[in-house]
Amino acid sequence: MRSAYRILAILIALGVVVQAAVIAGAWFLVLNDLDSGTVLDKNSEGNWAHVVHGQIGVMVMPLLALLLLIVSFFARIPGGVKWAAITLGVTILQVVLAFAGFAAPVLGLLHGVNAFAIAGVAGVAARKAREATSAVPASPAAVS
Amino acid sequence: MRTSVRAAIATVAALAVLGPIGWFWYDSLVPGTYDMATMGYADYGGGPPAGHQHTGGISVADLRGPSGTPAVTVTLTTRRDGDRYTINGSSPGPEIRARQGDLIQVTLVNESVPDGVTLHWHGVDVPNGEDGVAGITQDAIAPGRSHVYRFVARDAGTYWYHSHQVSHEQVRGGLFGALVIEPPSPAGGDHVVQVHTYQGRRTINGKPGVSEFPATSGEAASSGRTVRARVINTDAGPIRVWVSGTAYRVVAVDGRDLHQPGPIGGAAVLLTAGGRVDLEFTAPGRVDVGGGAAIGSGAASAEPRELVDLLTYGTPAPLGFDPGRATRVFDYRIGRRIGFLDGMPGMWWTVNGRLFPDVPMFMVRTGDIVRMTIRNVSGEVHPMHLHGHHAVVLSRNGVAATGSPWWIDSLDVADGDRYEIAFVADNPGIWADHCHNLEHVPEGLTAHLAYADVSTPYRVGGDAGNVPE
Repeated sequence: MRSAYRILAILIALGVVVQAAVIAGAWFLVLNDLDSGTVLDKNSEGNWAHVVHGQIGVMVMPLLALLLLIVSFFARIPGGVKWAAITLGVTILQVVLAFAGFAAPVLGLLHGVNAFAIAGVAGVAARKAREATSAVPASPAAVS
Repeated sequence: MRTSVRAAIATVAALAVLGPIGWFWYDSLVPGTYDMATMGYADYGGGPPAGHQHTGGISVADLRGPSGTPAVTVTLTTRRDGDRYTINGSSPGPEIRARQGDLIQVTLVNESVPDGVTLHWHGVDVPNGEDGVAGITQDAIAPGRSHVYRFVARDAGTYWYHSHQVSHEQVRGGLFGALVIEPPSPAGGDHVVQVHTYQGRRTINGKPGVSEFPATSGEAASSGRTVRARVINTDAGPIRVWVSGTAYRVVAVDGRDLHQPGPIGGAAVLLTAGGRVDLEFTAPGRVDVGGGAAIGSGAASAEPRELVDLLTYGTPAPLGFDPGRATRVFDYRIGRRIGFLDGMPGMWWTVNGRLFPDVPMFMVRTGDIVRMTIRNVSGEVHPMHLHGHHAVVLSRNGVAATGSPWWIDSLDVADGDRYEIAFVADNPGIWADHCHNLEHVPEGLTAHLAYADVSTPYRVGGDAGNVPE
């Protein structure tokens, strides 16, 4: 359970990196398309990178954060539940900021900043799992 | 602590998290086949309860157009080629022109659209059975089948037709065309300017870039002639429309003439998705719709920053009814929240705070005077379209309309805006009242106006695969 917790936390942190990469790529693709006469308006569904960013952001990341919380109940990591809950909290906040940004684009700035918070707290969660594993001698009796 | 106790606590905690999520998921599921009229909850708008709609009475299937010899007969054959849709081999489909009072008969033939098709007469207040909404007023027409629509061209104006089956794909892909109802003695210089964006290319009547008005029967838009440009927005979002090179007037909105419209220079009109404006000017001049698309002659002028405010444009005239004597008052509040829609997690549109299908059924009786407040707190603009009726705008954000009566069937409701509209319930049926950014319909932004004792034999889903968006 501790390694599952740790892997989930690392996946969430990596997910932030992927999200940053695809959303940057998405807008460079748009700029490139504009050069060939594309009109950007309400009809625009976005390119493949927008779709990937949306799917990972709305579906994959919240699911990973939810799984992390569930796993934390069983993983017996000091601070594990707390950091999983914080990770889930900032992940949901990220989705809320994303959609609030449509009405108030300034919130889009916070969406960018909060991404670092997700990566940060997921990183702390991963470290807690590693510390818990190394603090207890890995004897079968102790881990059970 | 004992291991077993810990495991029990962990299991309870996991269930406490997953249980509510699972319940919300389950509660959101929509049956595969259902009667749209039974979904959601009846909202009587403060008026007397009007008997709920799915109990006998008049059938939508009987609310059809008149018999008789049609003055205008058209056959429209729909095909799908990849993700393009065509009508009689082209997109947009043929322009249908009729004179006021004509009986129009359109035979829809579905040659090869796998999902089935229908035709909705956008802005024409047809009898409910001719409205073309799959699963509510008819079944979707499967490939190899056909369907006949008949209705009287009662009100002169600019309209359009489009599929109302899986419309977010079919309309985007080209399944639409223009419908013009001319006054009894039409003036010349009358041109349709149908705007559509195909795969990122904005076009007018199917052509990108700048084109000339066609020289129809010797009536080219030559210098000194009066031009009436019937601009139709078939896209998903609002567009800015203006005339370069000369002043112009907005002579009609959504197929209803404005009263004493004044000349406009240096301002654009915001044309909502699904909406129409008729612009009149003296040639030469060109109609610009943004995205590099324009039609007419003369040089381009920069896009004006100012917008014409239809709330104060023109001068007042009698409405023909008294909105102050409303018998029902409805709220249509558009929001957005996290939740499940038919099992799918996401950020979905809400109507009065609730997710589809738990949305209001606005219940009326024939003869009711209805006031409706449309409020948008969802973060994005919504072009709201009421079928079968024209409503008049009373106020925006509490400021009363002081210009010409501003009749609409499609209204641009920007984020944060609040419009009050009023209409007479004079067309019995079950009418969609939805967002015309058609992607938003499967995302939950739809409700219905239903008359007491009208029921429908058609079902969403079912054998016909009806998808009434």
